[in-house]
Amino acid sequence: MRISYGAALGVSSKAGPAAISSDAALVNRVAERDELALAALYDRYAGMLFSVLHRILRDTQAAEEILQDIFFQLWRTAKEFDPKRGSLPGWLTVIARNRAISRLRRHRPEQGDELEECNIAMPCTLETAAAQQQLIGRVKAVLMELPAEQRATLELAYFEGLTHSEIAQRTGDPLGTVKTRIRSAVEALKSRLRT
Amino acid sequence: MSGHPTRQEDFELYALGVLEGEERAALESHAASCAECTERLGEAQGRIALLALGAPRVDVPAGAKERLLQRVRGEGAAAAAPAVFAPPPRATTWAKEDAPRARAGILGGWWNAVLVPVTLGLLIVCVLLWRQNDIVEKVIDEQRKEVAHLQKQLEYQRRVADVMEGPNVLNVALRPMPGMPKGDATVHYNAGKGKLVYDGWIEPAPSDKSYQLWVVPKDGSPISVGVFNPVTEDRASWIASLPEGVQAKAFAITLEPAGGEDQPTGPQILVGNGS
Repeated sequence: MRISYGAALGVSSKAGPAAISSDAALVNRVAERDELALAALYDRYAGMLFSVLHRILRDTQAAEEILQDIFFQLWRTAKEFDPKRGSLPGWLTVIARNRAISRLRRHRPEQGDELEECNIAMPCTLETAAAQQQLIGRVKAVLMELPAEQRATLELAYFEGLTHSEIAQRTGDPLGTVKTRIRSAVEALKSRLRT
Repeated sequence: MSGHPTRQEDFELYALGVLEGEERAALESHAASCAECTERLGEAQGRIALLALGAPRVDVPAGAKERLLQRVRGEGAAAAAPAVFAPPPRATTWAKEDAPRARAGILGGWWNAVLVPVTLGLLIVCVLLWRQNDIVEKVIDEQRKEVAHLQKQLEYQRRVADVMEGPNVLNVALRPMPGMPKGDATVHYNAGKGKLVYDGWIEPAPSDKSYQLWVVPKDGSPISVGVFNPVTEDRASWIASLPEGVQAKAFAITLEPAGGEDQPTGPQILVGNGS
């Protein structure tokens, strides 16, 4: 059985099977004002980011606004982003969450906060659809394995941006219980998502 | 907090945003002056960012990408417009001089002195615009090709997602065998659909050899998935079809004579267990 390479990602006859542009290569092209590189990064990460934005805001229009702003920022500041110092999807995700929660809570992020998010190191690559799908499956499986109260508490923290005491206030659970649940959930995530 | 955080999870808790007051301030002030903790914080932020993948998948609204690209082009056009499209100064002069054209005969040499340089100026502008138009057409043509290329990529990603859907998809990391060419690959195998996604890289094979990926079934002989000849160490991804319902116990890439063999004959290069 021979593989039909022509069906794969933009196959180059020289390269054999499809060569996938790395995030670093695409960011460099974006820095040189290459719209198509920006479009490729958008295809790669917009779905993931829009999903988390929508989960936080539950508002399609607001989620798209933030999504567009983030990619527009990438377009304008790509030269300042050093892929060697941090993960692009990590940075995109952290910025998306920060902005969505800021909007949810109706306050603006503190100036300078986002520049400090450049050194985020993701423990895995998300450059291909297959890698993304695999990781989505793993994260969802880990979340489903958590006890229901741990999962719910973790989701209040991540998707609603609540602190320990705010979660305690919202749920009526003792502060110590909330802290224990979150810590246990985080420990489980760390150990089960270790690559 | 004068020293390093006592509990490793404090970094994750900070990244999650649940720390408050003194706990938060102490970690922030310590990390600001400790390179090791700054690095750990970055790693923790990356791990916490993975929670984003737990959000239910929602499609990006139709046309969102085009709206972004229009915004990007709008910025570019705003910056470029004065240089490319600003009317040449002489055109203004021409407009002002248009009204008294009837008096040309009376004005004589003075009129010609104005008309000739204006005409020459317009000709130069026309030539420049024509050349600019030619360049723009070439750029558009290249962009059309790139768009077609990206559409192919998108279609491929949809096909990958289709393979990855299902309850019993095997995700198997293939690791290099000692002393063999370097490489790293993952296969995603959906036995029910008879589809396999290969995603990885491997050192180029000698010119008279090919790599061949095999599924080793729980019962029976290895089944060839595909033959490939990478010429660079770039990551590659492709999808192959297999007979449906084959339960795999292992996957292996072997080095075979160019073009591949019906059954493995060469050394194993990358291997992974399927169960």
